[in-house]
Amino acid sequence: MFKRIESNNIVGTYDKEEIFVNAIRSIKQNHIYIKNVFTPYPIHEVFHELELTTRFPYLAFAYGLGGTVVTFLFLYWTSVINFPIAIGGKPSLSLSFIVIMFVMTICIGIILSVVTFFARQQLFPGKEPVLAHARNTNDKFSLVIEIPEHMSETERSGIIQALKESGAAEIEMKKNIESI
Amino acid sequence: MYNTNVRGVLVEGDKTYSEITADILRPMEQNKPPVWWFVALGVSLLAIAFGLWAGYETITVGIGSWGLNNSMAWGWDIINFVWWIGIGHAGTAFSIFLLILRQKWRTSINRAAEAMTVGAVLCAGIFPMIHMGRVWMAFFIFPYPNSRGPLWVNFNSPLFWDVIAISTYLMASAIFWYVGMIPDFASMRDKTTSKVKKVIYGTLSFGWVGSARGWLRYEALSQILGGLTAPLVISVHSIVSMDFATSVMPGWHTTIFPPYFVVGAIFSGFGMVLTLMIFIRKYFNFQAYVTESHIDAIARILVFISLIMGTAYATEIFIAWYSGSEYEFYTFFKNRITGDHMIGFYGMVFCNALIPQLFWFKKIRRNLAIVFAISLFINLGMWFERYVIIVTSLSKDFLTSSWTDYSPTVVEIGIYIGTIGIFTLFLLLFFKFIPMIAISEVKGIIKSTSGHKDV
Repeated sequence: MFKRIESNNIVGTYDKEEIFVNAIRSIKQNHIYIKNVFTPYPIHEVFHELELTTRFPYLAFAYGLGGTVVTFLFLYWTSVINFPIAIGGKPSLSLSFIVIMFVMTICIGIILSVVTFFARQQLFPGKEPVLAHARNTNDKFSLVIEIPEHMSETERSGIIQALKESGAAEIEMKKNIESI
Repeated sequence: MYNTNVRGVLVEGDKTYSEITADILRPMEQNKPPVWWFVALGVSLLAIAFGLWAGYETITVGIGSWGLNNSMAWGWDIINFVWWIGIGHAGTAFSIFLLILRQKWRTSINRAAEAMTVGAVLCAGIFPMIHMGRVWMAFFIFPYPNSRGPLWVNFNSPLFWDVIAISTYLMASAIFWYVGMIPDFASMRDKTTSKVKKVIYGTLSFGWVGSARGWLRYEALSQILGGLTAPLVISVHSIVSMDFATSVMPGWHTTIFPPYFVVGAIFSGFGMVLTLMIFIRKYFNFQAYVTESHIDAIARILVFISLIMGTAYATEIFIAWYSGSEYEFYTFFKNRITGDHMIGFYGMVFCNALIPQLFWFKKIRRNLAIVFAISLFINLGMWFERYVIIVTSLSKDFLTSSWTDYSPTVVEIGIYIGTIGIFTLFLLLFFKFIPMIAISEVKGIIKSTSGHKDV
């Protein structure tokens, strides 16, 4: 879950992907903790460098499995228990249930996966976006480093220097940026 | 992770990231759309008005206002239903299969293809709904607790499978389309200077900021939706085919139907994708994004699918003879290849199996006017196919005393034209208010396309 932190952040913004990815590596080598990064499109090297993983696919599998079971139980209850119809001697518990179970597995899997995505990302209509840089959704790559209140001026200058050396085109201070 | 190499240039002109954003958002940022847009809007509204009149006639007079009778219980309604579903098929098929196969050339085309899917499936849904007669009772088809027994729907019926499959397909396609647009809506939100647009696209973008974790989950969700929807795509048209194949009508009662319908649907949808992309490319100046390589790739797929279609037609005819069933033989040899409906049959073979063979020639694939014309032939040919399947089998079945003929009334034609109006209106709104090309996806592949040096 994201934490809204009132403390200040230093935002280093880069113009090019290659410089940005190298900057993440060099900042990490300087043992500086990266609070978050913002990019106009997904970059797999960034996921790798930040060691980000997701359990989303396992969850989706569980949703699908749940959908299969729930659909079967529903079909069994309606067709075998609640209202069994005699159709030319054909069994009430039919193999043709598979078609509905198949489709409903997909239906339930999709709905729950999407709901999970929006819930985990805390995305909802009307949410006020807090961007690290105004052009993060266009052409800029930003790297955010949190500056706690107790951080000394020397440490702060060191971070700014590291960002400059890594090729940051812009460096600015910004509050209330979500953590990774 | 599995990856594929890029063949040809996917984005021309050494575009920077900001140029890509600006180019794709330009039609949305223009306050006044071009004149042709308003003309097309007027025409589509007229078509919708015709359709509304036809719908009113159907509801107030009843299904008797159509050209159906005891033998021809299905006519233009199911022909057009299957035709629209087929067109709707390819958008998601295109987008999802190429996503799963990591085909980078999908990025310039998938958004428009998905839009086409949603519009086409919406149009398709109208036909079975209106065929029920009392359309306001349409909710009867869903299984819900009721005071009529309790009476549940027949879960063993392909018609009910249709309801579930198509509802799920519409929902899945719409979700896949919308989720794909969220980062692009955020681009529009952050780029526009209009306060109204900022509010609208701010709401639509759900507060998207493009953080690393957000992108990771977004990509995972895309793969999940792709993985789940791919088998759905196959199942939807298989189920539509079972509306026919599980009956005992000659010409319908055949095991080839599910794959034949799925391939046919993808064929017609790809044809419509081609029509649409050539149009978008020309009228919105997207030549740099929808390149000749894209058109070439779709044409190559079409020639391959066309061969499958031709094989399917030949197989049906062979089995009609080889099975020894006189009814099958009559349907294919006396009522399709010769007989009252031979124009439909030869139209189908010509448009679907023969004309697309021109795509073997590179010169043809590079001539966009011819490619556009062939794409229209494919759409027409696929309509003929559904006409042939439905009308030839129903009009002359087992009993000669039941033989009849069928021609649509103006009401049926009106409903069809009305759905074309709805589809056109949907696309016109799409052109104006939604990024036609997936901006973030194009940026993601630009490094790997040849011809690109620096961003």
